[in-house]
Amino acid sequence: MTTPSSPSPTAAQPWAGLKVVERDGLCSSYATRLWAALGAEVVVLEPPGGHAYRHLPPFAPGTGEPEGSLWWAFLAQNKRSVVVEPGSDAEQALLAAADVVFDEPAPPVVTPTPLHDRQVYVAITPFGLHGPRANWRGSDLVAWAAAGLSYVTGFPDRPPVALSSMNFASHVTAMQALGAAMMALFARKQTGRGQLVDLSMQQANAALHPEVGVPLVLDDAVHRGRSGNRRAVSRPWGLYPCTDGYASIIIVQPAHWMNMAAWLVEVTGVDALADPAFNDMAVRWEAAEFIDDMTEQLTTGMSKQELFVEGQRRNIPITPVNTVADLGRDPHLEASGFWLDADHPVIGPHRSPGAPFSGGSGWWSWTRAPLLGEHTDDVVARWTAGS
Amino acid sequence: MEQSTRPLEGLKVVELSIAIAAPSCGRMLAYFGADVMKLESLQYPDVVRLFGSAWARTPEYASVFTDTSPYLPEMNANKRSIGLNLKVGAAVDAAKKLIANADVFLTNYSTPAVTDLGLDAATLRALNPRLVYAALPAFGSDPSLPYYPFISWGPNQAPLVGLDAVTGFPDQEPAGVASFAPPDYFAGLHALMAVLTALESRDQTGEGSWVDLSQFGTTVAALGPYLLDEQLSGTVVERSGNRSAWYAPQGVYPSRGEDRWVAVSVTDDAAWQGLAGLLDRAGPAATGGETGFAADPGLATAEGRRERHDRLDTALAAWSSTRSAAQAAVELQAVGVAAHPVNDTEAMLVDPQLAEYRWYQAVPCFRFPDGDLVGGCALRLEDTPGHWEWAFPTMGEHTAEVLGSVAGLSEAEITELVEQGAAYVPAEPGLSLHRPYQHLLGLLGLKGASR
Repeated sequence: MTTPSSPSPTAAQPWAGLKVVERDGLCSSYATRLWAALGAEVVVLEPPGGHAYRHLPPFAPGTGEPEGSLWWAFLAQNKRSVVVEPGSDAEQALLAAADVVFDEPAPPVVTPTPLHDRQVYVAITPFGLHGPRANWRGSDLVAWAAAGLSYVTGFPDRPPVALSSMNFASHVTAMQALGAAMMALFARKQTGRGQLVDLSMQQANAALHPEVGVPLVLDDAVHRGRSGNRRAVSRPWGLYPCTDGYASIIIVQPAHWMNMAAWLVEVTGVDALADPAFNDMAVRWEAAEFIDDMTEQLTTGMSKQELFVEGQRRNIPITPVNTVADLGRDPHLEASGFWLDADHPVIGPHRSPGAPFSGGSGWWSWTRAPLLGEHTDDVVARWTAGS
Repeated sequence: MEQSTRPLEGLKVVELSIAIAAPSCGRMLAYFGADVMKLESLQYPDVVRLFGSAWARTPEYASVFTDTSPYLPEMNANKRSIGLNLKVGAAVDAAKKLIANADVFLTNYSTPAVTDLGLDAATLRALNPRLVYAALPAFGSDPSLPYYPFISWGPNQAPLVGLDAVTGFPDQEPAGVASFAPPDYFAGLHALMAVLTALESRDQTGEGSWVDLSQFGTTVAALGPYLLDEQLSGTVVERSGNRSAWYAPQGVYPSRGEDRWVAVSVTDDAAWQGLAGLLDRAGPAATGGETGFAADPGLATAEGRRERHDRLDTALAAWSSTRSAAQAAVELQAVGVAAHPVNDTEAMLVDPQLAEYRWYQAVPCFRFPDGDLVGGCALRLEDTPGHWEWAFPTMGEHTAEVLGSVAGLSEAEITELVEQGAAYVPAEPGLSLHRPYQHLLGLLGLKGASR
């Protein structure tokens, strides 16, 4: 897959011919990696020291900056690297040639303007371009906190937690920014004009809030707090220990509970579990301690993959609590062609997650992450010829 | 003001969906003007309808219970509801007439379920070659794959895809992401990308396509760098509470009040100098006995600060716990440090930035003519913005008009479908509802125009 050093979009790729510029920042890369694999020419404008992601751990064994960061190796796939001095005329000329710009302006924020009539300019900021906190600084953790997501994650007797080390809020923001950019291109088909997109990281992640959201809480007047790794609605509902970690069991439908009850009776010999009264999830919540105790008798004797496969065979929604090591060996991902074989002159051969969906034939094509400045001459020549 | 045309005006989308993953995608399409027609059944309603509302669990509301869930506007704002019992052949025929005139079919039903209904990709694409068929089942549409027949909800996709194992503190069992389901929304965002890409492709080739998206695969990819790390070095990334692999200090610190917290990220050395000065000015009495932060060369780098993270946490917590979360955030932001109160749901309602952007709006609809509360859409296009027209459709609200104008059925045919129980129209059309908090909408400034 990713051996070629330069992307060469084909006509079969839906976004071939589109010029996209990404400036230094953390909150668009996840999505532009995919856009580039669908044919868009995504040029990362890097300062001479390299893009922020080049400096972030983890690094491939025996490597370092600027080529060895696995963040860069993953998120810059399919893109081109152009080194320019920030604020230079060369940078300005490249920006002016783009159909779409992804920018993360730092405070004090000045509302940007597209550089030409047909340009879509996506300004990504922690809290939006206007309002009392428009100049506040942000981070992945701050986005979780501001979007209401941290408060409900974790155990009630410990502080709220977030998926901050995964940069997940930034990836969600990137996908929202991409959706907005594509939407603006559809608008351009009608109007002939580009426009500014005001993309707030807080709002991007507030979109994930409905399950504990304002309309819900106003309606039932019940405060939503943290409930640890089992949700305070019924049982079994959450994580249960097993021989090699944890499995997730979430039972809503009566039919799924009846399958679970039959299995529990087999394992524990406690016939009372088959009492039809327990088919009501509210009754199981009242008997939470008993149901959890019985469930743990079952789960602690098996591995998470055994619980997953046998539970699913019995038509019970059980999933394993996977680590990255488990996912690297998952048989479904393996069989589905999820992994792409990649090579990289510094990192060496490796496997990388590939296309998130299948579509028309020839839609996707993959290249390795570019070396620092690898495409500077090529892109400057093609994009700014005659200017 | 001149009304701009929204980018997806004229696009016809038929949605056969449940819960969050596909509905969250359809809702964004509808915000930008697409006509999203959700096929719904009274026999097998979307779980979002089944939740209903606590106050509606009385005989008085039994017939309209499925119109009462506060989740409805969160998932189905701006959509039209087409009530069809797809277990009846005549209803499936009507659905196919609708889909024959549609641009997009969007579903997160399992592949066996859509196949049983006769609404599988091969059938519908033969019927309408320009159709974009977008399916996002939990484990993809290939029957040869190991987990193809497996079942999962959004809440147990998060453990499966690796999110739960890395959420929580290293000294205890995983906290997991238990209260909401990130993979559902992430899949919905990928579906938006897939649908718009397929439409772009159709503009060029004239042909529709089948986009098949596995919810499992989309979110696993979010762990990309750590999957590579495990593969290349054998390192399995562990839970780290709120700490960052990059920044230090970073954390969630207690503030004044019960269960009140402030999130703080010192994202670079300049921000550290800001924080160090703030702590030094507060003095050792306010920071657990330490001082001299700014002058300490050992703390000038992230690496040095990471080594002393526990002590910095103690100092920051001592400082923050004597202030409100908002006050702490204001003081930190003033010296260039990223910080924000950890918003609970009640705080979201009065958050100044969300209010600035009118994130929550009361928008009228059939069942709630005085407005029901709708959460926002993050895609803010300055010149061709989306907007909410109605909060959510009542079950079967648009059955007759859509089967007539889009599927081309005659009035007599529609009446017959309704009479034989193959199609539904709204129960008790004259019954209007009000939320228990309806009187607050005006006070909170959430009422008014729908845009």
